[in-house]
Amino acid sequence: MDKLVAQYSRPQHQNEFYSEQEQQDLTESVPPLSLKFALPPVDNHASFLRAMTDDLANPSCPIKLAHGTTTLAFRFQGGIIVCTDSRATAGNWIASQTVKKVIPVSRLSRGEDKPTNEPTPGLLGTMAGGAADCQYWLRYLSQQCTLHEIRHKRRITVAAASKILANLTYAYKGYGLSMGTMLAGVTPQEGPALYYIDSDGTRLPGNLFCVGSGQTFAYGVLDANYKYEMSEEEALALGRRAILAAMHRDAYSGGFINLYHVKEEGWVHHGFDDMNPIFWKTKLDNGEFSNVTSAL
Amino acid sequence: MDHFPGTWGRPRNDVYGAYDPTYLQTTGPKTHTSSPAVTGTSVIGVKFNGGVVLATDNLASYGSLARFTDVKRLRVFGDNAVVGFGGDVSDMQYIDRLLESIDIRENYSTHGNMLNAKNLHTYLAKVFYKRRSEFNPLWNHVLVAGFDVDGKPFLSSADLLGTTFSAPHLATGFGAHLAVPILRRRFPEEMPIEEITREEAVSALKDCLKVLFYRDARSIDKYSIAVITKEGIDLKEDEQIEGQSWAFAERIRGYGRQTN
Amino acid sequence: MTSLLGHPAGGEGIGYSFSQPTAAPVKQHGFYPYTDNGGSTLGITGSDFAILAGDTRSTSGYNINSRMVPKVFKIGGDDETGEGAHIVLSVVGFAADGNALKERLDAVVKMYKYQHGKPMSVSACAQRLSTILYQKRFFPYYVTAILSGLDEEGKGALYSYDPVGSYEREQCRAAGAAASLIMPFLDNQVNFKNQYIPGSGEGHALEQKKAEPLPQATVEQLVRDAFTSAVERHIEVGDHLQMMIITRDGIQEVFHPLKKD
Repeated sequence: MDKLVAQYSRPQHQNEFYSEQEQQDLTESVPPLSLKFALPPVDNHASFLRAMTDDLANPSCPIKLAHGTTTLAFRFQGGIIVCTDSRATAGNWIASQTVKKVIPVSRLSRGEDKPTNEPTPGLLGTMAGGAADCQYWLRYLSQQCTLHEIRHKRRITVAAASKILANLTYAYKGYGLSMGTMLAGVTPQEGPALYYIDSDGTRLPGNLFCVGSGQTFAYGVLDANYKYEMSEEEALALGRRAILAAMHRDAYSGGFINLYHVKEEGWVHHGFDDMNPIFWKTKLDNGEFSNVTSAL
Repeated sequence: MDHFPGTWGRPRNDVYGAYDPTYLQTTGPKTHTSSPAVTGTSVIGVKFNGGVVLATDNLASYGSLARFTDVKRLRVFGDNAVVGFGGDVSDMQYIDRLLESIDIRENYSTHGNMLNAKNLHTYLAKVFYKRRSEFNPLWNHVLVAGFDVDGKPFLSSADLLGTTFSAPHLATGFGAHLAVPILRRRFPEEMPIEEITREEAVSALKDCLKVLFYRDARSIDKYSIAVITKEGIDLKEDEQIEGQSWAFAERIRGYGRQTN
Repeated sequence: MTSLLGHPAGGEGIGYSFSQPTAAPVKQHGFYPYTDNGGSTLGITGSDFAILAGDTRSTSGYNINSRMVPKVFKIGGDDETGEGAHIVLSVVGFAADGNALKERLDAVVKMYKYQHGKPMSVSACAQRLSTILYQKRFFPYYVTAILSGLDEEGKGALYSYDPVGSYEREQCRAAGAAASLIMPFLDNQVNFKNQYIPGSGEGHALEQKKAEPLPQATVEQLVRDAFTSAVERHIEVGDHLQMMIITRDGIQEVFHPLKKD
């Protein structure tokens, strides 16, 4: 009875403002990396999201998100090469030319490169598709990997890490995420291991992947010259050359060439270099890109 | 996600269905107040030395029909705050009830109603923003007038999306096009409000209402005007626009039977 | 807020090319929850300072709502004046979303200070802002944010965001309506893009000029120039320039007049 009285004696405006729970959520109780997301109050939120953000189907859509583009990774006898461009586009607008599309996934180095020449232990993830999706979920994965390390007193395998990510993307399938990522790492259990995971929930192990709008151009170079037995120098040069080809032919790729080598002790960064001098050097010294005129 | 190089990373049509632009449109049948039915037109307000004036006409239109000709759209809150409502009248009445319940609750508290116009505006803006985030908007554009904590005149606007802004003179709806230029000319923005007298402010608003009545087809010549000063609120709700001159109508060509 | 894991995905279910097309019910929508309030923001950092600036015009369509709606906010200050704050946030796009975002981040930074007994570092705040934006991944805040402050070494730090929270630390960034007008100017004047060292070589051997931190007076002038130029060519930018200058001594806020047409 009291409940009934309470229910009817209050004016309905009582609910007009944020409830105490919501107010708490607004301040602190939501942990930084959570799986709680606000959804638009419409029947088909994926469709709503797409209407607002798909700049390809509707170039004048209101919210343009940053998209990443060409990334590649391949296994060879000396480990794994990971190489990306650095351009982010929002519609036709180049939002940034300095995106770090290789994201370290490990406890020891969170997201930012350490200024050291020593190999850093841990996995590497790459970023193609929605920049925010990749950054958020790779960070989330990083957290899970660290927890794994604390619980089991040993590094997570690439297989397990990739499965965490794939399970996540599969759970959010149809919500409108966009990410194509590669996880690379060398663990005692697996040796060098490379996985491809995307926002459809696909998870594939493999020797060689190119992901992004410039993937076809990179595949072309990579497939023509790839041999598992390559030396480290050859492998680094091939990774750089494949990204260069994609940057040259794909308008959505460009900027700087970001090159990493993953080996047993950890990953090593091999530079974040402006593509322009590299392009001209490749052309003038090696006689490639001969369709481009060099006359000034 | 689309894996073809040209469209890479975008939603695939065969998975998500075709791109649906209806989310970007604002027409069609609805379940909430997604477009207003009975509406009020402009609200205009201006600050002066020691207070604020707010005015609206007394019409509630139903589409193009001048349906209710005696609807008061200025609401008093507490001792010296007034809210002027434009937009949906049913939502206005809902907000009015909401504000009344807050006023009653505040007055029952030990300190009495301490909410000033600025607090009221912040609250209303948050209510609007919350309702827009639920896709169930309160279809209004309001001006809140009164005083802030320091006792300085306060005039600010909030709309159905939760957008807020403040200026020495404000107008909603058609007034944003017709009244604001008049007010900006009469009281340039660099002019300190201390130089504006109450009489000037009131007469400026009356002129604006007159111009709006001439040109806004959803307006009427009966209006309400509230002058908010430290002494209290002087609210007049049954005013009549005076000194109308329709001589300019003679010169209008191109409508009705006159075609040249 | 809803937790998504463990729930079946999609409201109406998604179809695949190999499945029978499900007749999607024709749904009409009457409410568009966003608007664009125009304006532009800009941030540049130096070796011991950071400057975040924005114009103060608020527009809707071709109307100017107000000439004094600041877009740059102090975060985590003690009271309304922002006293004691050491982080600055600028938001441009949909002002109501921007305000909600600002208040959210402000609350987080304050809670951090009360709970940890020390102010939040800029890098931590930058990461937190990213997650706040990403919480609304499926119903985004329609804003482009820039966060600025001084890092642990006292260097100017600036983080730029997209609407759903991808972020990057940069030397300079322009956002909003006139971003496409200002950003190329900054590339050239701050990062010295397409500037070469005279006499360093012939033809393709010509050497790029290296970017280095600029002195504060130069940066202030660059910001003013960027805005006075943007005002000339963009209708949504104008009225006043609001500049927050973050140095070791605190945050200084300055206003400059811009053209009001």
